[in-house]
Amino acid sequence: MTGSLRQKIPVFAIVFVALAMLLIPLVLSTPNLQIYVAIGLSTIVVTGLSLLMGFAGQVSLGQAAFYGIGAYTSAILSLHGVPTLLALLLAPIFSGILALIIGIPLLRLRGHALAFGTLAVQLIFLALIPQTAKWSGGSIGLSALPQLTIGSFSFTDGRDYAFLVWVVMVIALILARNISRSRPGRGLRAMAVSVSGASATGVEVERYKLKDFAFSAALAGIAGGIYAFFIGYISPDAFPVLLSIEFVIMVVVGGIGTVSGAFVGAALVTIISQVLTALGTSPSLPPQLPTVLSLGVYALVLIAILRLLPTGLIGGVLKLWNRGKRIAPSQHGSRERLLAAESSGTVSAVQADTGSASPTPEDGSVLGESVS
Amino acid sequence: MTAFIEYLLTGVARGLVFALLAMGFVFIYRVTRVVNFAQGAFAIFGGLMTYSLLRAGVPQGVSEFVAIAASALIGLLFGVITIIGEVPLLASLVITIGLSILSEAVAMLIWGTTPLTYSGLEGKDFIIFGAFIQRQYLLVLIASLAVFVGLAFVFQKTYFGKAMTACASNPYAARLSGINVKRMGLIAFMLGGALGGLAGVLVTPLSPITYDADVSLAITGFAAAIVGGLVSPGLAVVGGLVFGLAEQFVAGYWSPANETAVALALLIVLLLWQSRRLRLEGGVE
Repeated sequence: MTGSLRQKIPVFAIVFVALAMLLIPLVLSTPNLQIYVAIGLSTIVVTGLSLLMGFAGQVSLGQAAFYGIGAYTSAILSLHGVPTLLALLLAPIFSGILALIIGIPLLRLRGHALAFGTLAVQLIFLALIPQTAKWSGGSIGLSALPQLTIGSFSFTDGRDYAFLVWVVMVIALILARNISRSRPGRGLRAMAVSVSGASATGVEVERYKLKDFAFSAALAGIAGGIYAFFIGYISPDAFPVLLSIEFVIMVVVGGIGTVSGAFVGAALVTIISQVLTALGTSPSLPPQLPTVLSLGVYALVLIAILRLLPTGLIGGVLKLWNRGKRIAPSQHGSRERLLAAESSGTVSAVQADTGSASPTPEDGSVLGESVS
Repeated sequence: MTAFIEYLLTGVARGLVFALLAMGFVFIYRVTRVVNFAQGAFAIFGGLMTYSLLRAGVPQGVSEFVAIAASALIGLLFGVITIIGEVPLLASLVITIGLSILSEAVAMLIWGTTPLTYSGLEGKDFIIFGAFIQRQYLLVLIASLAVFVGLAFVFQKTYFGKAMTACASNPYAARLSGINVKRMGLIAFMLGGALGGLAGVLVTPLSPITYDADVSLAITGFAAAIVGGLVSPGLAVVGGLVFGLAEQFVAGYWSPANETAVALALLIVLLLWQSRRLRLEGGVE
């Protein structure tokens, strides 16, 4: 999955995209800079979540909570006189530590307890804010955040933040790439194929999963911290459960477990949501239409991609590209093959039962846990 | 004392509703290993469809029955989308998340955003030790107990129930002995849909529901199911009762504002307890 994708996307293409992204803010107007920053922040969150889903085989429905905790950490600390740079750097640390604490029990449970546990964290987070109004500003939120300053440089306009986001995004992507190639990364990939197989060969499954989860939460935390300073105002409305689901959708659109897919997924979904909001918001239309539209479109995109293009958009495009070059099993071919195996009723049953690898890991990058 | 009795009885009734949702999680998980995030959506559809049927003049009783049957069909549809073909478990889970938000979109489109309700079992309130208890609570009690007894009978005595249990404990062996595991998975989804629909039908007269109530229902149902490690229907009922009682006592004696936070904190405690138990048993899945 990731291994093959990495080899197929040349390094110069990634460097080219990165440099282009660095130059784009110079020509963007203010509203477009906001979208640029939104895409960058989402990319940072999605990079971590994609690693978690692709390598640890777990879903977090609380990334918006870690994002929010990062934002509140930075906001509360900086409003109480902590230097802004320190307040920003503490955001990922707080989010990461919280993930460690809840990850220890949750990651040990079967049946994707992490998804529900993190959703619970998100709902608790949203329920606690009105109760701690003295610190968090309650449902009104916190405003008048000080400007982020590093040394003598103050971040004032969208362009400054666009560059900051670019730097953090590149660091996040490089870290994620290194993690996916390191020993823990290889271990996690082995684990995504077969938990029992990986642990039998000495992969410390639980510890790697936990680190992966903490890393994803820390990335969400730093993105949240930057968001707080960028907007200068935060309230619980900015971190709904739907945002957590949006991050999951971005991962799926870009391709689960692919580092470069994080950016593609974040960019596409952010732009789609902008378009949907613009389409649905009109005085002549019913007020709930934007929500219906975005929920419906998100759901259909999610289901369609998982059922039809399980490797995400990049994976799907690469597959089409490669089809012209060599005779590779097409999406349909492999699906038919799998269906045939399914109806004959032996292959998948044996494989599911012995907990061995999914028959075609390169076709379905979304790898499940072994069924035992 | 009067207040205590009231919280106790309403807590038990709400707990039984959670138990119905939890059993849906358990049946689907046991056969398919999929944690169906869209479990709460069945309750939303069950409740809201009953509301519309009653408003259209369909008699009480028939409306509820039709709504539950329709929820079972929605369950079947969700099952087809989620498990037919070769779908890895992680993808299945994310697909059910997609189905959950799709349900919200559909429910919002049809029923809007205002909380809806209908009157349940008519008649004067019961007075038990001085506490006023709505008749609907009696219906909740009878209906869910009947379902629990019926399911216990089906699973222990009938061939179909045994085949279902066989799929849960060893899908490979079940397949070898001629059981169609995928079909059983779809039936489990239908059963989950019907149980969720029933939960919605029973709970809507007690507390009005909106299109987005599914997430909180699903998370409480999941929490109750976790008590039995997602595989034991009996313990799922216990879990449901724990959550129903905790919710009513916290809301009654402390503050309704803390209800959600306490329920969720309880979920995290339960997860901790379960993971400790798993570690002691040496089982990591």
